[in-house]
Parts: sequence; C-alpha cells; structure tokens
Amino acid sequence: MELSYQEKVTLIKLRELKKASFDELVKETGLDQVAVMRAILWLQSKGLAKLHEKQKRVVKITELGEKYAKIGLPERRALKLLVEKGKVTLEDLREVLSEDELRPIIGILRKEGWATVRKEDDVLTLELTEKGKEALTKERPIDIALKVLAEKREVEAREIEELLSLKELKTRKIGEEDAKAEREVEITDEGLRIASEGLELKEEVSILTPELIKSGGWKNVEFKHFNIHAPVKRLYPGKKQPYRTFLDKIRRKLIEMGFIEMTVESLIETQFWNFDALFQPQNHPARDWTDTYQLKYPKYGFLPDETLVERVKASHEHGWITGSRGWGYKWDPRTAMLLMPRAHATALSARQLGKGVQIPGKYFAIQRVFRPDVLDRTHLIEFNQVDGFVVGETLTFKHLLGILKRFAVEIAGAKKVKFLPDYYPFTEPSVQMSAYHEELGWVEFGGAGVFREEMTKPLGIDVPVIAWGIGIDRLAMFKLGIDDIRYLFSYDLKWLREAKLVW
Amino acid sequence: MPKFDVAKHDLERLVGKEFTVDEWEDLFLYAKCELDDIWEHEGKIYFKADAKDTNRPDLWSAEGIARQVRWALGMLRGLPRYSIEESNVMVYVDENLKDIRPYGVYAIVEDLELDEEALKQIIQLQEKVALTLGRKRKEVAIGTFDFDKLSPPFYYKAVEPQKIKFIPLNCEREMSADEILEEHEKGKEYGHLIKGRPYYPLLVDSEGNVLSMPPVINSETHGKVTEETKSIFIDITGWNLETIMLALNVIVTALAERGGKIRTVRVIYKDFELKTPDLTPKEFEVDLNYIKRLAGVELTDKDIKDLLERMMYEVDFVDRRVKLRYPAFRNDIMHPRDVLEDVLIAYGYNNIEPEEPELAVQGKGDDFVDFENAIRDLMVGFGLQEVMTFNLTNREAQFDKMNIPEEDIVEIENPISQKWSALRRWLLPSLMEFLSQNTHEEYPQRIFEVGKATLIDESRETKTISESKLVVAIAHPKVTFTEAKEILDSVLRHLGAEYTIREIEYGSFIPGRAGEIIVEGKKVGIIGEIHPQVLENWGVEMPVAAFEIFLRPFYKGSFL
Repeated sequence: MELSYQEKVTLIKLRELKKASFDELVKETGLDQVAVMRAILWLQSKGLAKLHEKQKRVVKITELGEKYAKIGLPERRALKLLVEKGKVTLEDLREVLSEDELRPIIGILRKEGWATVRKEDDVLTLELTEKGKEALTKERPIDIALKVLAEKREVEAREIEELLSLKELKTRKIGEEDAKAEREVEITDEGLRIASEGLELKEEVSILTPELIKSGGWKNVEFKHFNIHAPVKRLYPGKKQPYRTFLDKIRRKLIEMGFIEMTVESLIETQFWNFDALFQPQNHPARDWTDTYQLKYPKYGFLPDETLVERVKASHEHGWITGSRGWGYKWDPRTAMLLMPRAHATALSARQLGKGVQIPGKYFAIQRVFRPDVLDRTHLIEFNQVDGFVVGETLTFKHLLGILKRFAVEIAGAKKVKFLPDYYPFTEPSVQMSAYHEELGWVEFGGAGVFREEMTKPLGIDVPVIAWGIGIDRLAMFKLGIDDIRYLFSYDLKWLREAKLVW
Repeated sequence: MPKFDVAKHDLERLVGKEFTVDEWEDLFLYAKCELDDIWEHEGKIYFKADAKDTNRPDLWSAEGIARQVRWALGMLRGLPRYSIEESNVMVYVDENLKDIRPYGVYAIVEDLELDEEALKQIIQLQEKVALTLGRKRKEVAIGTFDFDKLSPPFYYKAVEPQKIKFIPLNCEREMSADEILEEHEKGKEYGHLIKGRPYYPLLVDSEGNVLSMPPVINSETHGKVTEETKSIFIDITGWNLETIMLALNVIVTALAERGGKIRTVRVIYKDFELKTPDLTPKEFEVDLNYIKRLAGVELTDKDIKDLLERMMYEVDFVDRRVKLRYPAFRNDIMHPRDVLEDVLIAYGYNNIEPEEPELAVQGKGDDFVDFENAIRDLMVGFGLQEVMTFNLTNREAQFDKMNIPEEDIVEIENPISQKWSALRRWLLPSLMEFLSQNTHEEYPQRIFEVGKATLIDESRETKTISESKLVVAIAHPKVTFTEAKEILDSVLRHLGAEYTIREIEYGSFIPGRAGEIIVEGKKVGIIGEIHPQVLENWGVEMPVAAFEIFLRPFYKGSFL
C-alpha cells in the first residue's frame, strides 16, 4: 500500500499509542495540524485507522477569572490585609477590594472561618482567626482550579469536578462550561499489521527542486500530497478584444471566399466620396444636417481629378451617357467638398472603383463608420461595417442573390434565406436578405444591389457591379453573448477579462 | 423607410379578396414594403408596413398597397384608369408668394364614402408624403378640406403676418400668426419655414374664411374633413411644381381607389394657368435585351410584357425596344434599371434560384492590416488585455484632462453630444478613460489598443490622415516608467528598430520620467509615467505608466 510520509509517521505513532486524541497526535508526530488531519483522513479511507468524534465538556476561564488569577481572589486579598493588621473594618478593606467585591466578602470570610465579625464602636470589625493565619499558606480547591484554568484556559470538566463542583466556579464567575468536539484516532487491526511489518520513512518535500533532480535525491524523498481540490488564484491572461477576434474571423472568411481587402488613409471623407460619387442627390434626406455629421474644422477637402468630377456632375444633373435622365438639379461642387466622418463603407467601394479594379474582381472592407445617433443599448455612435462589391462582365441579379446567400451560409451559419425588395440610392435593383439562424430566428443579415450605372459609369466602370453589405452586429452580439451593443466596444475590464474565448 | 399602419380588413375590401397574414407578408413585397409588425385591436388585425423605397410615395398607404396587389395578382393589368372631369373651381395664386412659397396645386375628389379607417389612411398618407417626399413640409405641404363646406373660388395669398387671425386646428380660440408660430405645437414644429418673411402664405375662400396657413396649420372651423365628408378639396404647396404635382397625383389616386371621382381645378398664376391634377401617363423606353441580360432568369418577350403589365405599365413592342407608359403617380423611373427592378419584383425575388458567380479570383488581405494583427498578437504575449475604444471624443479629454495645451483637432460642427464632438489625435486619453471606468476592478491592469489617431494634414484630399498607433497603459501600485520601457524595448527589438529616448517636459507625465521615442532621427512616439494631476483629473487613484507609438514607420511591407 502506498503511504505518504505523513501517513507513515502518523501510523507509526498510532501503533505505539493505539488510541490518541487529535491534539496528542499533533504533539507526538511533530507535524502540523493540517498535515495530521489529512494523514488521518487518508489512513481512514485506506482502512488503517478510525477517527471518532465525540462531544466533551470543558470549562473555560472567564475574563473575571483571568483578572483574579493575576491579582488574587477577593478573599485572598482581604486575608492578606487581615494578616498584616490583625483586624480590619470594612472601610479598611476598600483599599484592596472593589465595591462589588466588598458586599459578599464578610460571608466568604466567615464561611471559610478565616475571620470573626463583631461590632466595635458601632463599626463592623473583622478579626483574624487561627484558621485564617494558616490559610495564608494553604491552597483551597478553588485556588487550584483557578490556577489550572489560568494556565490552560480550557480544562476538561472532569478534571475540575475532581476538585469542586462546577456550580461553585460558575457562581464565582471565574469559569464557564462549554461543549467541544473531541477527535480521537484509533488504529485498526489492518493498521497494526502494516505498522508491525515496518514502514520505510523517507524525507518529505513539497517542492521538487532542480537540485533534487540533478542529484537523483528525488529517489529518496516522499512528495507531499497537495490538496488538488483547493481553489487557486484567478489569472487574467492577455487577450484580444472578443469583438476584434470576431471581426478578424470575418476578414479571414472573406479572404478565403476570394475577396481583396480595401483600406483607406483617413476616417474623414469628403461628401463627394460619401454621397456624390454614389449618385446620392445633394438634397437627399440622408444628407440633411441632422442625419449627417459635418466638420467644423477642417471644413472642406479637395475634389478628385476634374474629369471624374465633371462626369459625376453630369450624371447627377442630366444622366450624362448613362442612359438615365439624372436628378435634374444644379450640382454644387462646394457641397461635395464638405468633410465628414465617413458614414458608410460603400464610400470605399466608390474610391476603389474610381482607382481601377480587376475585372472580374471581388473586394471588401471592414471599416469604422460614424452616424449621428445617441449611444445606448441598441445604438452605437461609431461602428464597423463590412461592405464590398463584386465586379464582372456577365454578372446578373441571380448572382447577386447567390453572393448574399453564400454570406448567410458561411458567416451566419444560416440554412434558409429569403429576399425582400429594398432601396438604396446607389443600387437598382436592391435586395434585403433575411437569414434564418437556429437561435435568433429570422435576422436581417445583409443587403445588396447592382450599383446604378449613373454611379459606375462616371467612375469608369462599364460592367455590372454588385454591391453588398452584411449586418454583423446582431450576429456579433449573439456570438459574444451580450444584449447591450455598447459591449462591442466594452469599457468594462471585468467583462473583457471574463469573456469566453472566441476564435 | 416610411413606416405606416394599415388595417387588414381595409386592405381586403380595397383588393376585394381576403388573405391570410402569411399571404399578406408575401404580398407586401410587391409593394416594396416589409411587414414589420402585426397586432390586434378590437377584433381587427393591423399591420405596420415598412416602405423600402423613399421615391415611391404611391406605395405608402393601404390604397397604394391594395392597388399594387390587385395588379400583381393579375386582377387588373396595365395602366390604372381613373375617372377625371373638369370643374369650374378656380384658385388664384398671389405673385408676392414668389420668395415665400410660390406654388400651389389643387384638386377635388367627389363621391367619397369615408369611415374611420379611411379617414385615418388619408391623414397618414398626407403626413408621410409631407415628411419624406416633402422633406418635413419644406418641399410639400398638404391640406385637405370638406369641399361642400367651402365657397370657391379660392385665393392662395401673401398676407402680412399682423393681419392674420384665425382659429387653428385643435384650438378653441382665435390666434394671431405669431401666436400660432410661438404657441401652437405645429407652429413650433414648422413655423421656421415662414418665420421672418414679410408675408405669410394663406389659403382663403371667396368669403374670406381662412382655410389654412401653409405649410403650418389648417383652420379648425372651415372645411375640416370628417366621416360625413363626401367631397375633398386638396391643397398642396411647395417650391417645385413637379414635386407638388406628383404629391397631388399620389393623394387623388389614393382617394380614387376608394371610389372617389377626381375633378380638376384651374390654378391661375400671374403669367400662366394650370389645370391640376394632370394624370397623363409618363413614357419611357427600354431595350429588351438589357432587361434579359441583367435579370439572370430566362424571360421571353411575352414574360416581360406580362410582368410589366402587372406593375401597371402599358407595354408596346417596337423592334427590340419597348415603349412603356406608366402612371402619373410615379416619377422614380430614371434608367432602364428601374424598369428591370419592377420586372424582378413582379417575378418575385424568392422565385429566383440564387447562383454564385464563378469568377477566377483570389482573395487577399491588406498587408498593413496583417502587420497590425501581428502587433496585437505580440502585445497579447506580454499579458496585456486588448481594448477597443471610440475615435469620437472631445477637446477636454484630449487636452485639458491630459494636462497639455490645446492643438488643432478634427472637430464636428453638429455633434449630438459634446462628449462626442472631436476625433482623437492620440489614443492615451482613451485608455485613461478606460482605466477611470475600472477603478473598482482588480489590479494590476495592463491594457493596450491598436487604433487610429486622426491628424490634420492640409496636403491630403480629406485634409486629414488617420494613423495607426499602438498604445499601452499599465496600472498597479508599484508601476513605474521602467515597466513601460521594458515592454517598449521588447516591442521595438521585435520590430528590429534601434531607438533612443530623448527626455522631454510634457504635462501628461511626471517630470524626469517622460521621453520621446526616437528611431532613425525621427520622433515615433512618447513614453512616460502619468502625472498625478492627470490621474486626479481622470479619477484614477493608481500609478500608471504608458507609451504610444506610430506603427507606420516600422512597417516593412509584406512579410512574404
């Protein structure tokens, strides 16, 4: 049988003692209390020892008892004065006794027979007796009990009862009774047998040091058993922000699906790229003061090269060569120069199309965008948009639906999708997609459309361009287990520390 | 975008057929509406419709949806026909309204039988058209009146504000124009559209009774429409004749869907005369092949004709081209694409099998984004928690609370809240804010962010550049400059950069524990132990050491 060092030491002692209290074992083995208790419990589970628990009565010293142990019992102090003076008045006794102690003192001294009481000049006078004289050097049971209590603070009731009744201690308020569990350990027959066969005691170590490994000393030691169930300190590892990890995952997915990533140098955009290049008329409600941020400083940016600007202007005013009748208003370059924090990632698609693209080609951006909203559980003031386009000579509406459906399957894990007509100023036809998510039900998951020719032709693109955007926030909130959208940009360190791993 | 309520029973009596709720959900799609919500009230079922197309006011009512459904289901085909006759009613328009609210167009719809639900729809449609198409009544304001209670002809006049006095809608007493603008709910909402002009627009009848003060409020006493109303007089004012004529067409045809008969009104301007409404169909021409090529579903000429007729077009083939005539309540057809969408909606988006295009393309992430991710991985390796904070902030957070003088910063002219009125030019204040919100949380706190700082750069297209930066902040009782430098040193060694630190005086940091990080002679960042004044400003009672560096200078291009 495998026994730990502590178990062996304990068992050896138990073989000598057969039966011992827990405290006794601690003393005899020289181990600490926790180690002995653990050893006993293990020995018991192996059938080598038995632990009995029984209640025992004890007497504990009171505060008053402690005080008397120091300055002496009142009758002792009175006796000392009596011996010095032969006879004393109550007034004299005030020197050594408190008011409380004074009242019962005559009774006690008379009961002990240490003094006689009489009236002298109408004053109560106490006179020392022979017995009193002797008593000075004699210990009464109560004196012994007080001494024992003062020394051990807690004594088995039995021990006191051999001297005097507990009642007396209680009346004198120097001791009080209490109940205490006593643990007694007994060796079993099997324990005796194993102990008699001889146990090899090895040194016990708690830490395996490099020295022990190097020297081979580990062969001659016992390893202290750890309480492997004990709770441990909470650690907070360095982690990526969970929403960041979610966005990274979407980025990887899109790259796998053949999309090229678009980026842009500033979070600030001209209205030209945010609206005009997207064929959004300058009096469009989305361009209203209340729906669009404007900058106080810097106020205006630059327009791109003149040819492009002229085409966009012509497209807005009369349709240019796009086959459209245009919006029929006077386009103002100054408005297009106004700066704003970018309001949608589609602005990046316009920029990319203007710069030139591979045909066929697939592009995406994960872009921080801004909207004049109030920050609350369901609205963010800035957020990330996942947006892009697919460009190709032979693309049709059917492909647009195909691309959207693939996103729903790949990213939201949806099994079913449905399509609804939708409206964007820069696409026609336009579609909204709802995806069926096992836990969320039908979720509006994305939108798409074929960029209007009024938009693509001025940017120099003559083939169909399918624009798409996917709504990731609800999915992100679901994946991250949150119902307050602000937690996507959490300022709550506790939540970040405890957030489950995402990948 | 416009959302409006319709009653199922009202829709069904307009269509002349009953459907289940699920069927309605699909039927709504023909009208470019989404069924947003369903509820029951006194045993009747109501729907909330979310109209997707901001350019199709004809679809923003029960009448509009019901009409589209009748056509989509083939109950009727081609152009809708309305009974329209001339009336002798005239409206005279005052030329002094030229710079105030120059145009008005009018119509009468007779033989109406209105109940509560019909009345609700008329009011709701007016509101939605004035709000969205009318840009909150700026471009379109609509008034409807009980024609039988009025005495034509009517005058759309420019009147000096102090001469105006009438009882406005929902009021009991007569009010002056200024009282209305200042005290009446609608006056407060729309008064700014006329306030300060020498004249206010006023519509009066031949007896001088005020019918309305467009675009603000109607009269309570003259011509209020009720369930007893049989004939409605419609008044629409605005700045652009084309827009208000469209609005008028939308309203009169909606009323005609309830059995009303349309009567035209003569509108007399100083130099010309109009007869409104004008319901002459509009014309457009498309190439059939264009439709077929982009649709992606097999469609014959006959199919296309059938689908377009179900979208209320009249279709004539002329060679490979199609001559189309479409209803006067629409003006959204600018390009053949708009016709294509109608073909597809009539076909039903969900009847088209999605197909992924096969394109020989390869995906690629941006290399700099990969670089930023590599930096994030490295920082996580130091045991730092990544945070993501907002770019929007304010001057106080960026400068005052950081104990440094103000500098140029990208500022928003019309912020929703002062708290979000600027774009950050450095990231450390964002991390200080983060720490300030977590003072009750166990220390040490070690955080970082890789994010953008937006700086002014006059030479660039947007006058700005958003630079990628790394910022680190460490807070615990024993933190000093040294701990920040240890991490910085390690990061820069991993980036293969030799650096020096030049001691600086900087208000955010404790003097003698602050430095600029110099790489190849250029300043790339800043490091220091946060000044106790700054900690106090943020309410952080814990020492903090931090650094912030630009990432672009360390980027060496793609690894592969």
